[in-house]
Amino acid sequence: MRSLFDKIWDAHVVEELPGGNALVFMDRIVAHEITTPQGAIAIEREYGDRLYDRDRIVAVNDHVAPAKDTATAIQAQVLRTWAKRQGIRLYDLGDGGICHVIVPERGYVRPGSTVCCGDSHTCTLGAFGAFALGIGTTAQAGAMLAGCLILQRPKVMHVEITGRLHPSASAKDLALAVISAVGFRGGTGYVLEYTGSAIEALDMEQRMTLCNMAIEAGATTGIIAADATTAAYLAQTQEAPTGWPMLRADDDAVYAARITLDGDTIRPLVTWGTNPGENMPIDGRIPVGAAQASLDYMDVHVGAEMRGIALDQAFIGSCTNSRIGDLREAAHILAGRRVTIPTIITPGSQAVKRAAEREGLHDIFQDAGALWTHSSCGPCLGMSMGVLAPGMRCISSSNRNFQGRMGDGGRVHLASPAIVAASAILGRIASPADIATARDSRMEARV
Amino acid sequence: MILTGEPLPLRRANVDTDQIIPARYLTGIDTEGLGEHLFSGMAGGAELLAESPGATIVVAGENFGCGSSREHAAWALTARGFRAVIASSFARIFLENAYTNAIVPVVVRDAMIETFARARSITLDVAEQTVRADDGEWIAFELDALRKHFILGGGYLPYLASKIETVRAWEAAR
Repeated sequence: MRSLFDKIWDAHVVEELPGGNALVFMDRIVAHEITTPQGAIAIEREYGDRLYDRDRIVAVNDHVAPAKDTATAIQAQVLRTWAKRQGIRLYDLGDGGICHVIVPERGYVRPGSTVCCGDSHTCTLGAFGAFALGIGTTAQAGAMLAGCLILQRPKVMHVEITGRLHPSASAKDLALAVISAVGFRGGTGYVLEYTGSAIEALDMEQRMTLCNMAIEAGATTGIIAADATTAAYLAQTQEAPTGWPMLRADDDAVYAARITLDGDTIRPLVTWGTNPGENMPIDGRIPVGAAQASLDYMDVHVGAEMRGIALDQAFIGSCTNSRIGDLREAAHILAGRRVTIPTIITPGSQAVKRAAEREGLHDIFQDAGALWTHSSCGPCLGMSMGVLAPGMRCISSSNRNFQGRMGDGGRVHLASPAIVAASAILGRIASPADIATARDSRMEARV
Repeated sequence: MILTGEPLPLRRANVDTDQIIPARYLTGIDTEGLGEHLFSGMAGGAELLAESPGATIVVAGENFGCGSSREHAAWALTARGFRAVIASSFARIFLENAYTNAIVPVVVRDAMIETFARARSITLDVAEQTVRADDGEWIAFELDALRKHFILGGGYLPYLASKIETVRAWEAAR
């Protein structure tokens, strides 16, 4: 009768509370430098050295790493000194990366467990069959102090992806397709529980990309049952968690809502508007009924094609698409070609960076004229490097195209690493097929 | 607890947390200075604030506070004197952050939003969970029965601190 989520929830409820709330135990708490200091300081001020269990906490300097100015240097230093004082494991410059990349990469997530962090993209870790959710600073502080969150029990939406993901599509396209199907706010109050043959065929990085964007449909999180793929991934991590239960939904699990998509119908998508739900096929046109405010901000109109729109910048990175598979996908397109607009490629962790360099991907990127950076959240949230000027248009493998997200007045189109790479080469929104066509036509012209 | 105030008529849906407070202002280790950047990520946000200098109640459409988990959104609202947000729905994390910061999250039907956006004055009775625009009729709204306690003065962290022994006992028996 129970969904996968139900089983994890039931196993972590410490106490039912008034108003339909529950005190829910958190097995892991991830703490980064932007949203942790206020909470950590509040705990120390009011409760001294009391933490529920410091071994459950992992701290990461990731958003502005290295620091860009005095204020962000203080944030990083507060996290560092707090972690040291409290005996908390910290991943810092040189050994770090984006928290949602390094936490799974090091094996700090167990299937069947609960994870929280003061960061909305914590839902990424649902890829491991964990209940992982983003929360505010005070809630994170509460979890560090008392081991628990106060939560309303979410409903569960069964999201089944049948068939196989079409060869032209990536996990990013699937994520965007799910947001369209569920609606930008349609997932509010739900956990998205993904099943189906197309999901089972995804590798762990693809599953993380999919779960990462559950929040962009308003969902509390996304979750995928752990299987042999999960076990193989975790076995090669630093922490290599063992002994976890291979939970999955009962065959007769009851869901509050259900949607089904055919993986074979998923095609490359790109956003035209100012939320991730405002997306369309790369070879499509902006639909009638598109929100006027979004059209105005993006300086596009109903009926317009996205393909061919001139760009000012490209970005490959973020907790959505910065892992080795994403970089290989981009390198495959960029190999032997040149970008024509400023292009920033930011690996999700220093371990990803080193893995990419062992394969020579950094040479491909730099030979193509792209900027290959250290790992960080980078341009995704317009907080450190790669900020857009007003009116600049960027194609990005990240997760949010909100107004001003990558810089005041900047415009963002979300797409897969392959689409971003192809677009960087042509300087306009393009698919990999367009590059082959462009090359062929040049060849013909020469003949 | 009665709150009376003027509306800030945003009216629009999907006011995300990047619009409420852009990431470039999240560089502090306290809540100082956030108020001056409130709604600076929203097209026309500064103008709306300037037109309603005395406003203490935000009026918006669906999905208020979507996006990032940043509690800075709630802190920035509080710093500018906002005590409540009336919207037709809220994103989960913002809703939780509103309660912990004693911002009253009032959900009303979409059709009522314009009434509150046009009001000269809005009155909220938190204990009774009713709200009205000017001298209009009182409309009931829902509040989380537990989290209402955080709005009325009980702190979130003290509440959780009172649960530590319960949690330890649960974990020992796990």
